[in-house]
Amino acid sequence: MGAASSMYSNILLKYCLLLSITIFCCSVQASNSNSEETIITPIKHDAWLKHLASYKPNIVVVDMWAMWCSSCLERFPEMVSLHNKYKDHGVKFISMNLDDRNDKESLLAAENFISAMNATFDHFHMDENLLDAFKKINLISIPAVLIYNQEGEEKYRLSGDNPNNQFTEHDIELAIKELLKN
Amino acid sequence: MKHTILILITVFHLSFTPFSFSGQFNSIVSIGDSMPEFDQLPSISGKSVSSTDLDKDIVVFVSLANHCPWVRGMDKDLVALSQQFESNSVQIIGFSVNHREDDRLPAMIEHASKVGYTFEYVYDESQQLGRELGATRTPEYFVFDKDRKLIYMGALYDSPAKMNKDGSIKHINGDPKEFYVNNAIQSTLANNEFNPKETRAHGCGVKYVQ
Repeated sequence: MGAASSMYSNILLKYCLLLSITIFCCSVQASNSNSEETIITPIKHDAWLKHLASYKPNIVVVDMWAMWCSSCLERFPEMVSLHNKYKDHGVKFISMNLDDRNDKESLLAAENFISAMNATFDHFHMDENLLDAFKKINLISIPAVLIYNQEGEEKYRLSGDNPNNQFTEHDIELAIKELLKN
Repeated sequence: MKHTILILITVFHLSFTPFSFSGQFNSIVSIGDSMPEFDQLPSISGKSVSSTDLDKDIVVFVSLANHCPWVRGMDKDLVALSQQFESNSVQIIGFSVNHREDDRLPAMIEHASKVGYTFEYVYDESQQLGRELGATRTPEYFVFDKDRKLIYMGALYDSPAKMNKDGSIKHINGDPKEFYVNNAIQSTLANNEFNPKETRAHGCGVKYVQ
């Protein structure tokens, strides 16, 4: 009876061990596959300009944001709701992340943020030195929203660069409506 | 002869044309503009500070926000700057205009004590000082000379630093090599010319009420 009990215990122990290893392997595999599925695409500035042209003849609304910009995070749901409202009217929404390309922690947090926002439009990360990225886009501060017309020309640059002229969601929508008249 | 007359007319015309445009990275002020006046702004020291109280040869304003990781990343260098010029006729004034709770006076007092600010750090609920300086980022520096004319505006140095969630600090381009504000102060104290006079400040956006 004692020997049988010991044998069952041994089998149970081995079974548990095997099960643990299987679960661990599966979780590692799942974790690896998740890390490969990035939502945000890194892009150089030159490639970005070419890519931007490929959206013609749509109106393009580009949200410049970063994880270090609390106002950007607060505003992001506005972009999602505007996207849902205008996605079937020839308006493409894009988010351009401006975290430091060497700051892996922030880039991962940005991925998680986008995922949680359920923002089903295109997401990019400007893959340049951060100061160079601001210079190349000629940005002074973020949040900033750049709006391009059906010909791919930048028609609106909504930003907080003037303390006496700050933009709201309403300004983004007004700009879209104005361009939709064309 | 005709060309000479034309050149003379052009030079004469230009010398009397009022050049009034804002800075390259500032939509409100440009180099040479006068310092804004302000009255009785509450400071972390418990005093109220007015523009008429400022009696040093050089006045340095810096736009701050406690919550901003770019301010937190730069804090120790701001403290070092204030210590470097402690024995000179230089006054540093930090200011905050954001309305969020963690950027208001009680949080400013706590933050200043934690990081070691020994200069006046004022809160401007009206946001008037920030508006008149065209301050749209934190940190952003504005240096005024003895005549209270703007001689430098922009970043502290060429490699802004961000504080991460774990408290570590990382400069975008490694250790700074060009110290713009120090350069402006030292050169002006020594009556020397300096450059650059304006740089692109990098940091969090300032939120103004419309």
